[in-house]
This record gives sequence, structure tokens and C-alpha cells, in this order.
Amino acid sequence: MLSRSAERLYWLARYLERTENIARLVNVHMNLLMDLPKGVEMSWRQLILINASQEEFYKKNTVANERNITRFLLADESYSGSLISSLSAARENIRTSRELLPDEAWEQVNEMYLYAKNNLETVANRRHRVLFLNEILKGCQRFTGLLSGYMSHNAPYRFIRLGRNIERADMTSRILDLASLLLSESRSDEVRQYETILWMNILKALNALLIYRQQMHSSVNGDDVLNFLLQDNTLPRSVSCCISELSDCISRLPNNDDLPLVLIELEEYVKAIDTRQTTQEQLRGILDDLQNKLGAFHNKIADNWFLSN
Amino acid sequence: MKSIWKNYKTDIAYDELMYSEFQSRAVSHRLCQYLDSLKKEDIDKRKIAAELAIMEMGISFTVYSDEGNIDRAWPFDIIPRIIDAKEWRIIEKGLKQRLTALNCFISDVYNEQAFIKDGKMPGEIINSSKNFRKECIGMKPRHNTWANICGTDLVRDKDGIMYVLEDNLRVPSGVSYMLENRIITKRVFPELLQDIDILPIDDYPTHLHEMLTSIAPHQNGQVTCALLTPGIYNSAYFEHAYLAQQIGAQLVEGSDLVVNDDDCVYMRTINGLEKVDVIYRRIDDDFLDPEVFRPDSTLGVRGLMRAWKAGNVALANAPGAGVADDKVVYAYVPEMIRYYLNEEPILPNVPTYLCGNEDDLAYVLEHLAELVVKPANESGGYGMLVGPHATAKEVENFRQIIQKDPRNYIAQPTLSISTAPTLCKGKLEPRHIDLRPFILQGENTFVTAGGLTRVALKKGSLVVNSSQGGGSKDTWIINMEES
Repeated sequence: MLSRSAERLYWLARYLERTENIARLVNVHMNLLMDLPKGVEMSWRQLILINASQEEFYKKNTVANERNITRFLLADESYSGSLISSLSAARENIRTSRELLPDEAWEQVNEMYLYAKNNLETVANRRHRVLFLNEILKGCQRFTGLLSGYMSHNAPYRFIRLGRNIERADMTSRILDLASLLLSESRSDEVRQYETILWMNILKALNALLIYRQQMHSSVNGDDVLNFLLQDNTLPRSVSCCISELSDCISRLPNNDDLPLVLIELEEYVKAIDTRQTTQEQLRGILDDLQNKLGAFHNKIADNWFLSN
Repeated sequence: MKSIWKNYKTDIAYDELMYSEFQSRAVSHRLCQYLDSLKKEDIDKRKIAAELAIMEMGISFTVYSDEGNIDRAWPFDIIPRIIDAKEWRIIEKGLKQRLTALNCFISDVYNEQAFIKDGKMPGEIINSSKNFRKECIGMKPRHNTWANICGTDLVRDKDGIMYVLEDNLRVPSGVSYMLENRIITKRVFPELLQDIDILPIDDYPTHLHEMLTSIAPHQNGQVTCALLTPGIYNSAYFEHAYLAQQIGAQLVEGSDLVVNDDDCVYMRTINGLEKVDVIYRRIDDDFLDPEVFRPDSTLGVRGLMRAWKAGNVALANAPGAGVADDKVVYAYVPEMIRYYLNEEPILPNVPTYLCGNEDDLAYVLEHLAELVVKPANESGGYGMLVGPHATAKEVENFRQIIQKDPRNYIAQPTLSISTAPTLCKGKLEPRHIDLRPFILQGENTFVTAGGLTRVALKKGSLVVNSSQGGGSKDTWIINMEES
């Protein structure tokens, strides 16, 4: 397998995972705001906080309202972190990797892209936005299923899994970031009152509610949720699960050098976190650190296998 | 109900499907009747279905510009063009004969030059040809095939005869569109394809792979093929990716390849370097190897010619094969067929005047306003004069140009190329078409059943190039004999 192709497939998977995550995030946030009574200090602004994109947002917008933020996150083609930009980057990567993938893979992403492109305007309207996001989520899942059923589970597939899981781990850590913000000591009694709803939505954002209930046999509570999302071994979107997926792919790729060791270290690091013992500030520090470690791991992948330019 | 064929004009040129608005040719009878049985809305629906399929399959050209990338959908006309299998079998034979002779000629040019020594062609033509590569002298590729992939352009004149317009021996494109056109037609007219005995075309990738394997430098064990593309900004990138996928080759760019001290070609993979045996290259000679050809080329691979000459890698088409793409050399193809194969040409050339010959030049200058004049070494219809469509001033201009460099110009009578019914704003109208079959030659020779039919979508236009308002049609070779 060409180094160039490995790089393109890896990015294809990252961009598609990002597309799906943005859709998920906006979807859940919308539901959350519908559940919470007016006046609770939850707002759309939090969505741009966790992406660290406030600066870019305020360059283009003055008010952080639903309309502006959803347009920015979903439909702004000039913002590289938007859903449409991620999807179109994914499409460009798959267009240039067609020889490695089943035909249906390209058609699937192309169709989804055309759908998104033709319906960008509709996201301003809440009802249409729900349809739009559903279509995108379905499309992403269809793609994942299609590859798992149609594609040889060989090196190209492993690079796709690598990209998907590193992006997924990163997004989960960002969602935890958002959660830690909401946990802040200064939160009002009103927020405390609706906390369960909030945590349920965080779980939903990561498709974790059902699994959480099955595993924890307890009511939804903040500290448990945080630990669960970091460390559960069966939840596909937990940070631990993503890391063990990464380990599995890495161990089956040629020339993996010291990468398996780096991953063991990372695994240990995640296991050692105990959200019950940390303050909100410490937690934020830990999550920052985790994101940096994932970034460093990405660089190692690139050094090892990608075309050095 | 009014017939869809009412007022269809067949007096413009030879029409491939219709004798007149009242009568279709035998071979197109079923199709024409079927179209007539459809309501106008039905036909429109099929057209929309085709456009949708094209969008979803992502069959497009990408035009890259400063304003961003524009994906242009592949312009496709749903009405197929039809040729009787009886006629096709003769054309097919003619195409094989032609490519065989051309490969003999290229081999000869880079080795003995017997054709020239025997006085069949002035040596000056080769010595002054831009596409003669002295680096190739003495080379003998496997099976003596230099042009392995050829896309010959055929046109039918008013006399009903198919003429060879040009042999494209460098990096002909379009075969992926031929394949995709059939896939779309299957979606749009499934009933028809079921009932009519149309020769299949989807075996092309198999034959391409077989041909590439047959020219590999070694014949033991597995052959690694790569398709060398100029990259994602090339307008034919879609085709490169499509073909690589279809034949299971690695799609590589110049920077993916490296030639080591052992004069072998390797690609950079996740396992380290891996040896490549056969390269189907889709970049021109000029850009192939900065060590030998254009030093500023970033598309090619340094040392590729060294590896090829050492016999460690096969290149398709071989470097230097373009020498036979010269339009002056074209005029000698009938003679080549007689000389190398001892046969009479099956497919005629368009009569060609070589401005390098004094007599021909005098005739051409006298009849400029009636002739088509072409530069010898350009492709894609650049730098041409179409006498009957040119202004007096343009004709005079061209007179000067030819006189300055007669060797590099040829002239041909203006053909009245055939038409086929084409859906234009919901109505069937005649539009001019040509045909590009693809011929493969390695150990064996293979011709696609039909080829890519290109159509000039603008009324009256003779230009079928997709960059200039051309589209394409599916091409049906129909077996009429009862089996």
C-alpha cells in the first residue's frame, strides 16, 4: 500500500468522523435546549467554545444565537471546521483514493455530499435541520457499515480505523471538556436542578445512554458519566475503547516501531484518571493533556507511514 | 399521436439511425420504435434519471481554478448510437491491422529503418519529427509493441464510409466514459438492453490488465502494475483512478516512485520500497523523466528512462511511440500496412496533402478555402484552419503560416461527418458525431466492442471535444443475425 494512499484514507476517516460528530453535537445540543427551561444559562455559545473556534466565529458574526451558530458549524464553507467543509474534504480524499475502495463507498460519500450541498440553506430552520442532521448521521453510519461489509480488512482498512478512532477519541475528550465546564462549582441551583437531563444528553451525544444504563445500574450522575466516557471498555466512543482500537490496528501494521509502547502508556494514563478525585480545573488540565497526547500520537503515525514531504 | 421523428432532418449528413423522418435503419429499428412508443414526459424522465446517476456516480471533469474547483458533470446524451455487428467486425479487423502495422513501423524507426531505406518514406520526416526520441534508438520492448493502448478516431463521411481521422498513440483518454455510459444506459433503458443483442464492453479492464501483464519484463511470479497519473488536478484524473481501481493497479504520482542505483523502479509504501514491473503512464514523454526530457518536470520520475532502457520496467505506451502520431506519418499508414503486413488497408485514411511535398503544397495553397489544415503534432483540435468556416483574412493568415513551415502542416478535404439523433430540449435533432474505439496490443490484440461516441451538442458544430461543448453517447454494436 502506497504511503500516499495510507495518508488519504486516514484523513478520509478523520473527516467523516468529524462530520458525524458535528452533526451529533448540534443534534444533541438542540434537544437539550428544548428540554431545559428558558433562563438556564446554557446557550449555543458552548458549542463554539469546545471547538476553540470563538475567534473565527466572532469575526463573521456578532450574535451567538442559534441561527448563526448552527450556520457557522454546519454550513459555513469558509470555516474549515464546519460540517460541510469536513464532508467536502472527506469527499476529496475519497475521490483521490477510489482505486482502494469499493465503488459504493465513493458513491455513498458523493451522494451525501451532494445532499448536504443542496440542502445547506435549510439548516436555518429547526425542523429542516433535524432532517438534515438525520440524513448525515445515517449517511456516515451507512459508510462505516458498507466498508465493514464490503472491504477487505487489510492495511487500507486499518488506516481508516486509525483515523476514525483518533478523531473519535479527540471528540469524546472535547465533549468531556464541555461537561466539565458545566460542572463548574459556580453553577447555579437552577442548573443543578436539571443536571440529570444534561448528563443524559451528553451520553446521547456519544450514543452511550443505553450502554450506560446497562452497565451502571444507577441513575445518571456526573462523576460516573465522566469516568464511564473515559474508561469503559465496551462503549465504542469511550476514550479507552478508541485507544484499544488504535492498538489493535497498529499491532497489525508493518513497521510499527515503538508505536505499540506509546499506546500502552496512553492507555495507562487514561486508566489512572479518577474524575471523583479531581477538581474541575484539574480535570480540564487532564483533558487538555490528553488532547495533546493524541496530537503527538498523530504525528508519530505520520512520521512512520505517510509520504514525507 | 404525433411521431417523435416527425420533421427529423436526415439531409445534413449521413445519419447513423435514420434514413428519413419516416424510416429508420434496420439496425436501429427497435430503438426508434421504442422511443416513439414513449410519451414525451417519459423521455424527459429518463434524461433526468441519467443526469442523477451521473451526479451520484460522480462522473465528472474537475476544472480547477483560482475560484475553487468546479466539478462539471459528464455531458451524456441518452440516445445511443448503433452500429451493425457485421460492419463492426470489418472495422475491428481494420483497427487491429492498423495498430499492428504502426507498431512494426515504430519498431523499425528505432531500429533498422528499413521503411526509409527502401524509399517508402523520406528520412527527413522522422528526423524533423518532434516526437522522435533518439533516446529510444535500439530499444525492443516485449512483443515489439510500442503503442499498447491506442484510441483511434473514426468518422463516417456522407458516402457512408468510415475513415480513420487520427491514431492517438500517446495517452488517449475516454475509455472510462465509454464504460460508464453503458452503466448509465443500463439504468435508463433496462427493457431495451434486455431485448436487444448488444455486444458487452465491460471486459475492457480485464483485457487491459492482461495486456499490461503480458509486457512485464519478467514473466515469473506476480506482476506489479502501477498507473502513473499527473495527479488530482488533471482533468482526466477521474479516468486514471477509475482504471487503476478496475485493474487493481496502484495509482501513483511521480513522487510515489523512485529509481534506485540498481536501475529498478520502486514505490514508497507503508512497508518501505516495493518494486514495480509495469507502468501504465498517463503523462506525456516530455514530463516522464527530468533526467532525460524536460528538466523542470515535477510530474515524472528521475531515472525512469534508465530503468526502462535497462529492461527493468515496462512502460505503456513506450516512450517515443508518439513518433507515429505525427499527422505527416499518418499519411503513410496505408503504405505501412502494405509494406509490413503485405495486406491491403481495410480502413481508409482521409486523403491527406503533405505541405512538405511541393506538388501537394501548391494544391493546398490554391484550395485553402475548401480544406481543413492541421499542424502535424498537435492534438485536441488546436491550431487548425477549417477553410469553409474561416474568414478570408484567416485563410490568408494561414497561407503565411504554412509557407513558413510546410513540413509541419497537412491538409484534408472537409468531411461531412455523420449525425445521430440527440435529445435537445426534449426534441430529437441530428448532431454530428465521431467514434473512438480503443485498441490494446501486447501479446494479443483486443478492440473494444464499439468505443466512445462523442457528439457535438451545439447545432451545426463539428467539434466533439468535451472541453468545447461536446458530449457523449453509449455505443451499441448490435448482432442482427438470428442465433
